[in-house]
Amino acid sequence: MKLPAFLQGSSELTVSGPKIIASFDVFGITIHFTETIVLQWFVIAILLLTARFLTHKLTIHGVSKRQAIAEMLVDAIHNLVADTMGKRWMFMAPYIATIFSFSILGSLISLLGLRSVTSDFSVLATWSAITFVMITATKIRFTGVKGWLKGFLDPVPVMLPINILSEVATPVSMALRHFGNIAGGAVITALLYYGLTGLSHLIGLQFPIFTIGIPAVLSLYFDLFSGFMQAFIFCMLTMVFISNAAPDETDH
Amino acid sequence: MLDFLSIDVGTILFTLINTLILFLGLKHFLFRPVNAVLELRQNTIDKALQDADSANAEAQSRKEEYEQRIAAAKEESAELLRNATRQAQRRADEIVATAKADAAAVMQQNAEELEREKRRAEKELRNEVSSLAVLVAEKVMDREINPDDHARLIDAFIDSVEDAE
Repeated sequence: MKLPAFLQGSSELTVSGPKIIASFDVFGITIHFTETIVLQWFVIAILLLTARFLTHKLTIHGVSKRQAIAEMLVDAIHNLVADTMGKRWMFMAPYIATIFSFSILGSLISLLGLRSVTSDFSVLATWSAITFVMITATKIRFTGVKGWLKGFLDPVPVMLPINILSEVATPVSMALRHFGNIAGGAVITALLYYGLTGLSHLIGLQFPIFTIGIPAVLSLYFDLFSGFMQAFIFCMLTMVFISNAAPDETDH
Repeated sequence: MLDFLSIDVGTILFTLINTLILFLGLKHFLFRPVNAVLELRQNTIDKALQDADSANAEAQSRKEEYEQRIAAAKEESAELLRNATRQAQRRADEIVATAKADAAAVMQQNAEELEREKRRAEKELRNEVSSLAVLVAEKVMDREINPDDHARLIDAFIDSVEDAE
């Protein structure tokens, strides 16, 4: 008896990018509308509905559980930003919360069998580009355009190429670190399913019995832990780089 | 299908927009209401603390005021008591003085009365004596008496007169 294809497990190994749902041509440039964007909408919808639910009917006295959670979350982000960047950077808290929650949930949707938003390099490239713009904007804000440009000649003009390289390396390394961890986890999970299916077939089973349970243990690390860690690292690096771009707090 | 590691302009564009949407959404639905309620609560707490402070200060000032009032009342009562004591003392002194004066007047009166009485008695006695002398003289005239008796009678008379004086 032959099992339906769905129950036979993964019999081929494919590692691919996000599916293209639609393409438009705008001024000769092809704009792809991919799976990633739809999944982002899904994540955004979950996050905003949760936020809306948590902050429903806020009161000063007799705080409900929902409100307590909302206050705890906001407080945690505020404390994280205040501890890492300092009090004067509190306006960054909503942005850090955005990246943090987007990244975590974007990684964790892989637990639902969906493609992680964060396993698309374009997404991480966008976020690290935002961070890079913020770092540069902070430098210009505090030292002026001249001071920012002069910073590339520090400590000696010969260092110019190395300074440019290190400036560019910051966002690139941030994006690649995050992408590599999540995408690598996805690849390893795909390899594992393929391998375990093969092992099941090897001992004469059509149904891939080994793919039950065993991948879940590895998923704890590659999806849960790694997703959380990378979101945290990305936010920490963003905060540290931006606050380091400004002079010491004693000036203010 | 895009490559596994690919940079796609469309994805970047949409991701940028989506990130902005999530940023604004979280700001609007999570941070703004929670911050507002936190601030409101902080204000309420501050106000309550301020109220407590002012109430405390008021109670303190009232306490001081009452203490002052009690001290003043004590002082006043002591003053009243002193005045009353002084007045009573004065009154007592007056009464005693009046009584003494009265007693002295009475004594004076009594002494004068006594003197008058004495004089009257003397006068009466003198009259009595003179009448007695006359009587005695009559008796003597009537009867023969010896010279010794006569002399004795005269002596006795003189003595009695001297005594009466």
